[in-house]
Amino acid sequence: MTNAAHDRRDLPLAVLLMLPALCLVLVVGLVPMAMTVWEALHGRDLRLPWLGRPFVGLANFVEAAGDSRFVDALGHTVAFALASVPIEIALGAALALVMHAAVRARGAIRAAALLPWTIPTVVAALIWRFLFDAQTGVLTRLLQSTGITSAGFDWFVHPLAAWVPIVAADVWKTTPFVAILMLAGLQTIDPSLDDAARMDGAGPLRRFFTITLPLLWPSIVVATAFRVLDALRLFDLAYVMTGGGPGTSTEPLSLYAFAALMQRLRFGYGAALSITVFVLTFAFALIWIRSMGRTLAGERS
Amino acid sequence: MRRPVAVAGSAVLLTGLALPLYWMLVASFTPEAELFEAPRLIPSTLSLAHYRALFDARDFWIPIRNSLVVAGATTAVALPVATACAYAIARLPVPGRGVLLSVILAVSMFPQISIVGPLYLILRALRLLNTYPGLVLPYLTFSTPLAVWLLTAFIRRLPRDLEQAAMMDGASRLRAAWDVLLPLAAPGIASTAILTFLYCWNEFLFALSFTLGPERYTVPVSVMLFRSRYRIPWGEVLAATVVASIPVVILVLTCQRRIVAGLSAGASKG
Amino acid sequence: MALTFSGSSLGAEGAVLRSQLDRFAAAHPDVRVELRVTPDSADQRHQLYVQWLNAQSAAPDVLQLDVVWTAEFAGAGWILPLERFAPEVGDFFPAALEASRWRSRLYALPWFVDVGLLYFRNDLAPEPPRTLDELDRAARRSIEAGHTRSGLLWQGARYEGLIAVFVEYLAAFGGGILGSDGRVIVDEPEAVDALSRMRRDVGPDGIVTRSALNWREEEVRLAFQNGGAVFMRNWPYAWPLLQDPARSRVAGRVAVAPLPGRDGRPPVAALGGAQLAINAHSAHPQLAWMLVEFLTAPEQMLERARLAAQLPARPSLYDERLDGALPIPVPPVRQALEHAVPRPVTPVYSELSEILQVAIHRALSGQQAPAAALSEAAAAMRNVLARSGLSPSGTP
Repeated sequence: MTNAAHDRRDLPLAVLLMLPALCLVLVVGLVPMAMTVWEALHGRDLRLPWLGRPFVGLANFVEAAGDSRFVDALGHTVAFALASVPIEIALGAALALVMHAAVRARGAIRAAALLPWTIPTVVAALIWRFLFDAQTGVLTRLLQSTGITSAGFDWFVHPLAAWVPIVAADVWKTTPFVAILMLAGLQTIDPSLDDAARMDGAGPLRRFFTITLPLLWPSIVVATAFRVLDALRLFDLAYVMTGGGPGTSTEPLSLYAFAALMQRLRFGYGAALSITVFVLTFAFALIWIRSMGRTLAGERS
Repeated sequence: MRRPVAVAGSAVLLTGLALPLYWMLVASFTPEAELFEAPRLIPSTLSLAHYRALFDARDFWIPIRNSLVVAGATTAVALPVATACAYAIARLPVPGRGVLLSVILAVSMFPQISIVGPLYLILRALRLLNTYPGLVLPYLTFSTPLAVWLLTAFIRRLPRDLEQAAMMDGASRLRAAWDVLLPLAAPGIASTAILTFLYCWNEFLFALSFTLGPERYTVPVSVMLFRSRYRIPWGEVLAATVVASIPVVILVLTCQRRIVAGLSAGASKG
Repeated sequence: MALTFSGSSLGAEGAVLRSQLDRFAAAHPDVRVELRVTPDSADQRHQLYVQWLNAQSAAPDVLQLDVVWTAEFAGAGWILPLERFAPEVGDFFPAALEASRWRSRLYALPWFVDVGLLYFRNDLAPEPPRTLDELDRAARRSIEAGHTRSGLLWQGARYEGLIAVFVEYLAAFGGGILGSDGRVIVDEPEAVDALSRMRRDVGPDGIVTRSALNWREEEVRLAFQNGGAVFMRNWPYAWPLLQDPARSRVAGRVAVAPLPGRDGRPPVAALGGAQLAINAHSAHPQLAWMLVEFLTAPEQMLERARLAAQLPARPSLYDERLDGALPIPVPPVRQALEHAVPRPVTPVYSELSEILQVAIHRALSGQQAPAAALSEAAAAMRNVLARSGLSPSGTP
């Protein structure tokens, strides 16, 4: 048979094979997303059922724009991404380089390095909450004994300081993930290039910048994209470590949307807030793909 | 990089990664009173009191069972479905496959918070809140697209010649896939299964929103709710986190190659 | 058949509850009653209830509600109106019944009540003051004579308890927060006078120590217990603690009376307590009603009074039967209950309370004049009511 004939015959089969997965994506993914958009245009409050579900157009979004708690949450989310991602990329690259260079016990090292990433976020949050706990925390004590913080300093009581344990937990948890991504990239680098450069007299730093870094660049791009997308959706760590507190000073957007939806039961407003999270991640993804697409296309061999 | 620098660097980084975990383990075996004293690297007394309290007083078996059921069921459903779909996209001439893959990837990137509201209303209408199916269905939202993405990457890498040879020998497409491709793809499928299971085991937001009581709480939710008292019972909380991490640790230590392979495949495609 | 009950179950309260639930189950052979434990904090219990009831869960069948939650749960359709069970409501305190109704329908039965009382040092003020001015004079006498550092103590921290204190001042001046038609009246002259008096009392020349602006019930009790003031406004729970010679410096020198109003006005008291309601999605509403009836029956209420020191919600019980049972003197408590005033009964109470707490605290701490604070608060409250379709002129 010709290829074309094969192709035509296979289409029904293809559809059949894809159908279950696509149905799931549609029913449990796309439909709820559409419902959220629809809900965001209405003013439903589950505690006030007599109000029904009036169409309010963009009123929820207008309210959000003037809502200082929303603006704060947006700021928290972006600031968190800006603070944690660079640290994760830098540390992840360092870890990848180290793991790459280690020849012995590579499996064991990789396993040990993976553990923080694979344990539940809730567990990571609790561990770091414990480490920074005012009374029982090891880190708290350490910092106090070295004089970096004063005695009785409670990280979770100060609006700005409370972010430190959260960022620390996130960096600890996701650095291995970044490292693994970069390790894959590192392993495609031809060692003979490096040897040649060394023989030409180039020092380690120079070799890093001229050989390793450019070849590592695609991995860095991908890792940054993944990490920023995750950081913009921050929820678990904030909910478990601080509950958004003190007050609402460590409340990211997702947490505010959750409070509005599931606690305050303002489904219309909460839907609008959760849409902003989606828009934020979507916008970032678009911009990133646009500007980095060239790099990826060029590097893919 | 010079060997001693590499070794020193590894030691520092890995210690930084491992120390909190080590601390969690040690603290979970430390009697409550001692937790408030100056911390030691090696504890003076070891006590099983927290673990006993966990399983006797708090019935921690129940959340463990719930998590196992939900993660297991989700993986069991997602993998066959995703494998079929991935095969179709990777091997069959599907029109617009690039767009399809992008849509699938996009869905797996939906912020959970953006769909938790309608999902809640749907599950409530179907009376599925606080049930196993009520968690498995939402988990499939994310695990299926992710699995499709990963498996497509794996399958694409496998050479076509063996299947084509089988087809030339008269086997149908499906037959060829079953006999030839599946065994070759087995490592990739295993990786995907492990990552899916891990994802479900660790998931928090949906579990928090769609379960109502201890009879259906999963491990992350159950552990988190210990801290709703005024004083956090750290001993028991940390014992619970150790228990919550055990399946993960087992999987990682035995299958780290698979996990790494899965992650790399997913990333390189992007 | 299994019934689930959910409520606070700490200490003695929990023990009494369990034994009463067991008695009910024993009297109904094929019925099992399960007690579903909730967190100790009222806020967390509220959140859990919201989660369960919004999910249309069939359990718990019977819930213990704080006195300010009933309208909210009734409005949301989460609890059953009780008229189908033809309840007998003749023997309940009117204020407690008022707090159990929404849009003229009864949604809960009062279970136990709490009431604001005036505690006073009867060695320094043998007769309880009958007007606010008498209280003021007696307080100043004591301060000037050096007997106590402060004259009067109440809970002034920025939390729900502050509203209870404010409600008492309001009633003393004939003001209110919401009128009988649901209109916001907290910016009217009587209310402004009440807040001004409250602010004067805690001001530099006042009889209330400024630290009270950070205090809740326990801090106030401890200060009074250490001899810090002649008068204290608190709930009945404090009585046994104050009279315990092992801990209290003022044991044996304390008495209670209803809080006085202004000249010519009756005494005032804020109403607290809890009610029992039935889950709208309960699978056994009739059985749940029987449990509610049982728990609110006179014998059960008297038992709770004896073993857990909780005040019964039935006026007829306040006779000799209660005298030996309650640790606190009965006549002043009964008098206070007869004049008790509930906080506003509306589904959006928590939002209104938040707004008021901020305004009152700002006025008390001198950051804003009472009239301005109340006028701003009233506008915000009207906004909330309008947005929620609860304005008096609108239809629900």
